[in-house]
Amino acid sequence: MTIQDTPLVRRDFLRGALATAFAVPLAGTIASCAGSGTAKSTAPTGSRSAASSAKNPFGMPASSTVDAVIFNGGYGIDYAKFAGKMVEKEQSGATVKVSPATKIAQELQPRFVGGNPPDVIDNSGAGSIGIATVLSQLEDLKDVVDAKNYEGKVIKDTLYPGVLKPGTFGDKLAAINYVLTVFGVWYSASLFEQHGWTVPKTWDEMMDLGAKAKKEDKYLFCWGKEAATYYLTLAIGSAIKEGGDEVRLALDNLKEGCWSLPAVQDVLKAMEKIIKAGYVKPGGSGTQFTAAQAQWSNAEEAILYPSGSWIENEMKKETKKGFKMTGAPAPTVTTNSKMPYEALHSAAAEAYIVPTKAKNAAGGKEFLRAMLSKDAATNFAKNILSSTIVKDTVPADGFGSTALVSQTKMLEAAGDKVFTWGFVDFYGMNTDLLVLWNTFLDGKSDVATLTKGMQQLTDKIRNDDSIKKVEVS
Amino acid sequence: MTALGTGVAPGSTKPARTRRRPGKKLTFDKVSFFLVFLGVPVVFYLAFVVSPFVQAVYYSLTDWSGFSPEMNFVGISNYRTLLGDGTFMKSVGNSITLVIVLPVVTIVLSLVLASFVTVGGSSHGRIKGLRNSSFYRVISFFPYVVPAIIIGIMWQQIYDPSAGLLNGVLTRLGFQQFSSFPWLGDERTAMVATMFVIVWGFVGFYMVLFVAGIKGIPAELYEAARIDGAGRFRTMTRITIPMIRDNIQTAYIYMGILSLDAFVYMVAMNPGGGPNNSTLVMAQQLFSTAFTQGKFGLACAMGVVLAAITLTFAGLVFVVNWLTGGHEDITE
Repeated sequence: MTIQDTPLVRRDFLRGALATAFAVPLAGTIASCAGSGTAKSTAPTGSRSAASSAKNPFGMPASSTVDAVIFNGGYGIDYAKFAGKMVEKEQSGATVKVSPATKIAQELQPRFVGGNPPDVIDNSGAGSIGIATVLSQLEDLKDVVDAKNYEGKVIKDTLYPGVLKPGTFGDKLAAINYVLTVFGVWYSASLFEQHGWTVPKTWDEMMDLGAKAKKEDKYLFCWGKEAATYYLTLAIGSAIKEGGDEVRLALDNLKEGCWSLPAVQDVLKAMEKIIKAGYVKPGGSGTQFTAAQAQWSNAEEAILYPSGSWIENEMKKETKKGFKMTGAPAPTVTTNSKMPYEALHSAAAEAYIVPTKAKNAAGGKEFLRAMLSKDAATNFAKNILSSTIVKDTVPADGFGSTALVSQTKMLEAAGDKVFTWGFVDFYGMNTDLLVLWNTFLDGKSDVATLTKGMQQLTDKIRNDDSIKKVEVS
Repeated sequence: MTALGTGVAPGSTKPARTRRRPGKKLTFDKVSFFLVFLGVPVVFYLAFVVSPFVQAVYYSLTDWSGFSPEMNFVGISNYRTLLGDGTFMKSVGNSITLVIVLPVVTIVLSLVLASFVTVGGSSHGRIKGLRNSSFYRVISFFPYVVPAIIIGIMWQQIYDPSAGLLNGVLTRLGFQQFSSFPWLGDERTAMVATMFVIVWGFVGFYMVLFVAGIKGIPAELYEAARIDGAGRFRTMTRITIPMIRDNIQTAYIYMGILSLDAFVYMVAMNPGGGPNNSTLVMAQQLFSTAFTQGKFGLACAMGVVLAAITLTFAGLVFVVNWLTGGHEDITE
């Protein structure tokens, strides 16, 4: 789930800003126009579907059209068109219409109100629909993962562990997040080799590396204003590894005093030490985040950057030659942490949803079945250099990408010790957290102020009865 | 009236009536003219301006999520939520700061510039502007030609702490304290830096507007003032400003409405609302409430508040202008 929000900050923000800026500011007026559409009563999907069979497990009507709206961001939509072709081949007479969209919420809002949403949506990017808003209008996708893929294997057995968690709300699998993302700290293997540095496994080692980097006139970290919360992600990941599941549950369930747990505090204090020592490049709160990332990947002014595995694709054009981008898991506080160092924060992004009121919801599910088949997943990995949630689609050479290889290696090392959390995005806390973290990374606040601020935000949501909570276990 | 009324009373009503009668006859020509030039615009206005507005007001009283046809009437609870919402109140505060500062600064600056290029030149001979004034006029109009979003993106780069032009120049000049200084990331400077960009973008436009106004003032007035010994400042306050009062009022309202919006600039330069929300404006908060949080009802309430503030502002400008003597029309 965390990543559902990270696209908000990571992906081509300028484009987002542009599109947003062109929209009429009085959004209330737009909203009202959208509302005037009368809701057509659509026939329940069941009545329009054909009998289900092994070849057509969801009973997609013969010769029907599937209307897929795909977020057109860093991944493009070609991979979805590829899957669409597969559906057309498998279901004779079917047509799959793949249309791109950049502002999902704005573009699809009238269709949701009008009762004719698309059959399948890639709900991603800066303008994605808050999943809590439409949760009750979505199909349960459990039957998709229970079905067999185009190679005849049950889909759920072909997936990496834990990848369905971000899309599960209560007992409903409302979204299938397609792209596997691994979170950690990223570095240049060649630079580290050149200086004989090793990747720090604890925060103490991190301090030492900071001193070494300083000698080379480099910073340990750098950050950009829209991505300050990447450091929060790193902190939470590290704290969960240190304190185990109880930390994750406390945070995810917005428990009282969750930010004051010893594991969380230890990590924040370690970070504060690094900031106060001047190992973080100053000025991040005024730097656009991709510019900041280029300070790491191109200028090599900073040597580590906490991020998700999309970073390679995002910085493709701004990465120094021979950089050898490699990822490592978040550090722990002590060497006897509750979870081993290899434990990994990994989740899936690009949430695919199927609205219940869609004309051809069965077709939407069929589309997802094609996407989760080996051919489509391999095609994605090969062209985008990112892994999908489908296992064994990346060869040992990672199609020539060191980042992709390290991602696979980290996943293998972690085994089933993979975790994630969702509260930041589910309750839409990122914007408020960004403010606190920019100030903290700037060295203008301390652990106490940061803790107090985050706790206030958390308490406010917990005590607001109008916000529906999701119990995480 | 009384002098006239006595003599012509009986006859005066009759010709008046006959004169008015043809006006009452509704010929096809007239009806079709009314329909096309009055009816159609009114219908358009009602359909596309008034009705959405009324609808937005209605939605502000519901808990509409924006993604379903269902909604419940919740009365004024959205407005109550807004009053207790610290972030929203902060954005209201920021918008009001903008509306107080921006129009004054922009208009004073552009008025001074307009005076310079039209009447501020040599105090001998013909009334004229500074030398090369047409060159300055073109230069200062440049920023207005650039779209707002580009201005925002451009200045974001200029303000960049490490690679930006501003810090580059400042550190080169020896101000080492500005190396890596985050202009848009520091609570003390973010708002001022943003305001500067907006002023920069609009000074040229308002200058041209005022130049046109000043050109409409008869040169004799300036000549007479000069003969009476009035200096440039006195000429400006006593002649220029009173003579183009209406232009200034219009400019003030336009600039004020723009400052209440300021959406594009804010989103381009500080999409997240700036350090400690110091540059967050109402329009931004409204947008994220509607589209990312899925609370269209609440967002509509914000829209209504914004509209109310805008109308209040326009009303205030009229009142102030009237109170300061705007109703004594000196041009006639």
